[in-house]
Amino acid sequence: MNFVIEHLSKHFEKKEVLKDVSFTFESGKIYGLLGRNGAGKTTLFNCLNRDIRTDGGGFWLEENGNRREVRAEDIGYVLSAPVVPEFLTGREFLKFFMDINEKDIQDPGALDEYFEYMSIDPEDRDKLLKDYSHGMKNKMQMLVNIIAQPNILLLDEPLTSLDVVVAEEMKQLLRSLKQGRITIFSTHIMDLALDLCDEIVLLSHGELEHVDKENLDSREFKEKIIAALKEEENE
Amino acid sequence: MNRTLRISFSLRNTYRVNGILYSLKQIPLLKRILPDALYRIKGLKIFANVLSGLWEVLSVFLGKFLYFIFMVAGAAILYDKIPAERLYLHILVWLTVIGSFMNTNLFNPTRDKYYAMILMRMDAREYTLVNYTYAILKVIVGFLPFSLWFGRNAGISLWLCLILPFSVAGIKMAVAASSLWDYEKRGFVYNENRLNRYFWLFVGVMLVLAYGLPAVGIALPVNAAAVILVFFALAGTVGLGKILRFKEYRAVNQQLLGQITNQMDITAQATQAVQQQSRNSISADTEITSNRRGFEYLNELFIKRHRKILWSSSQKIAAVCLFLLLGILLAFYLRPEIKERINDLLLIFLPYFVFIMYSINRGTGFTRALFMNCDRSLLTYSFYKKPDMVLKLFRIRLREITKINLLPAIVIGGGLAALLYASGGTENPLNYAVLFVSIVCMSIFFSVHYLTIYYLLQPYNAGTEMKSGTYRLVLSATYFICFFLMQVRMPILIFGVSCIVFCALYFIAACFLIYRFAPHTFRLRS
Repeated sequence: MNFVIEHLSKHFEKKEVLKDVSFTFESGKIYGLLGRNGAGKTTLFNCLNRDIRTDGGGFWLEENGNRREVRAEDIGYVLSAPVVPEFLTGREFLKFFMDINEKDIQDPGALDEYFEYMSIDPEDRDKLLKDYSHGMKNKMQMLVNIIAQPNILLLDEPLTSLDVVVAEEMKQLLRSLKQGRITIFSTHIMDLALDLCDEIVLLSHGELEHVDKENLDSREFKEKIIAALKEEENE
Repeated sequence: MNRTLRISFSLRNTYRVNGILYSLKQIPLLKRILPDALYRIKGLKIFANVLSGLWEVLSVFLGKFLYFIFMVAGAAILYDKIPAERLYLHILVWLTVIGSFMNTNLFNPTRDKYYAMILMRMDAREYTLVNYTYAILKVIVGFLPFSLWFGRNAGISLWLCLILPFSVAGIKMAVAASSLWDYEKRGFVYNENRLNRYFWLFVGVMLVLAYGLPAVGIALPVNAAAVILVFFALAGTVGLGKILRFKEYRAVNQQLLGQITNQMDITAQATQAVQQQSRNSISADTEITSNRRGFEYLNELFIKRHRKILWSSSQKIAAVCLFLLLGILLAFYLRPEIKERINDLLLIFLPYFVFIMYSINRGTGFTRALFMNCDRSLLTYSFYKKPDMVLKLFRIRLREITKINLLPAIVIGGGLAALLYASGGTENPLNYAVLFVSIVCMSIFFSVHYLTIYYLLQPYNAGTEMKSGTYRLVLSATYFICFFLMQVRMPILIFGVSCIVFCALYFIAACFLIYRFAPHTFRLRS
């Protein structure tokens, strides 16, 4: 399965944020999306999640040579600031989600199994989400996004504000989830991208560009990435 | 000295100009025309600069003019026991005392001071003294023409009129100096915007002295007032000495402005407050559960956990209406002669109830709670935005909001019909039914209306800021139409039936629009 973006563009007033984004993502890989501040990473994700309208171009899922529209249930989108319905308890949110998506969830497990899987303690499961810590909200958001096994998982700087333990748990989780889906992970932190991701993609000049690792060691690879990102400045 | 004045002027001007440009950018239609780079456009900048300059000049005189016309000369007209001259001076003396505490300039934490002294690290003493001198000069210059004009009109002698601006400035400086002295002794920084209750009590006493005493025929003799005013002016010279000698302006301002640094970003703070408030409105009652499934489950938990803000007010309104109804019925019993009058009113006053139904409708509160505590988060999940899901939830919510608003509507509709009957009835029994049904229809109309515009315009962004000018416009239009209808008098049958027909048509139109557009419009704004 491939996720194909073709000639996607988006501007705000006169500013062209996404000029001509074309790229083919392959399933089974984690893509690290790097870009400078304001490069348009979040805009790209919002377009793919259909939160904002695109100006032109499109994106498809390609399976066995057949193209089809990306449906809402194909996408899981994890935001850096976790947003969860605060009037529900963790358990209620999960139950609601499983009810709504029962058709899409293959062999659903018991609610507690999922909590267990995300290392959310039993005493926290029946607390209102408004009383959850940042890290726990993040886990809930991640859980709900992966439970329906979306074909595309978009992660917008999801690990930046987590403590080291939770961040490590999340990394392990993402690695274990990558088979059979496309994971696109946007971040500012290059070491994180190099550590977690299989491929590095740059968003600069409003276009996506693959950075080939070739035979470079990690220091050289980093320099290459920085050089590519700096280029923008000199134009 | 000059340089400091120039810098502080241009600083104040810059943020005022940017403020004007920013507010231009907030106006719905203008917003589209104006480019993002409007802070760079010369013409606009000049225009804003002219406004800013005008404001600076106006601010010297306008406040003083209003002060004299309303607080002093205008208020003086209300009394007739005391000669104008005495009264005028009496009020002025006490108000001047209040002003010296509440309008010090020196102890008013403002943004321009924050920018200059904290962010730009300007020399605090020089900045303060230069700006304070400017402010005091503004007081004197601003007061002078009105002191002469109103004073001479009240029959005050010329020399006293001339000295008054200096008295006002003088007592301000004396009080400011004593606050500085207080700082040296106790380390306490006075903040004129944060008065404690003793100060408010003091202000209250002064107001009673200014306006209460003349009401019972007491006022300061003219000579006493003159002595006090001269004393104020002299005290000013002593105060000025202290102000000029004072060394610790940086420390004072650090403390004074430190109190506002936390609230610099007012919008961010306001949104945070709103979010916190919404969070607090969620009931922590662990007994609340639901046996339903899917969206019904979500909805039931939402309604139960927000009972306090959703149902309680509607129940309270219903109770008040019931109480009023019983009161009027009791009045009928005690004073039968009012029946006929009420009966006449009831038969033509139905349009008035559009406004009443508008004011008691909980629609905006409901949609706000929906957004803040539910949709804001769930709209980031793609399953929640699937068209069939959006519509399913819309139906459930429409049912709930209608139910909540129906309770007071039934009490009011039933109550009006009961009043009509008790006040002598009507020849056409259809009037009872139309009265009841049209009130219920109005209630349903507002419920549908608010939920529909919420789904079609979804005005908030992820940060819970209201971003839609159109939404605001629709809300104001709703208000004005209801307000206008309040002036209309029409027989029950005509207005009631047209009202019912309108509500039915609106309902059909709203459903059509929702089915057609809501799946696309019900999104977070970016």
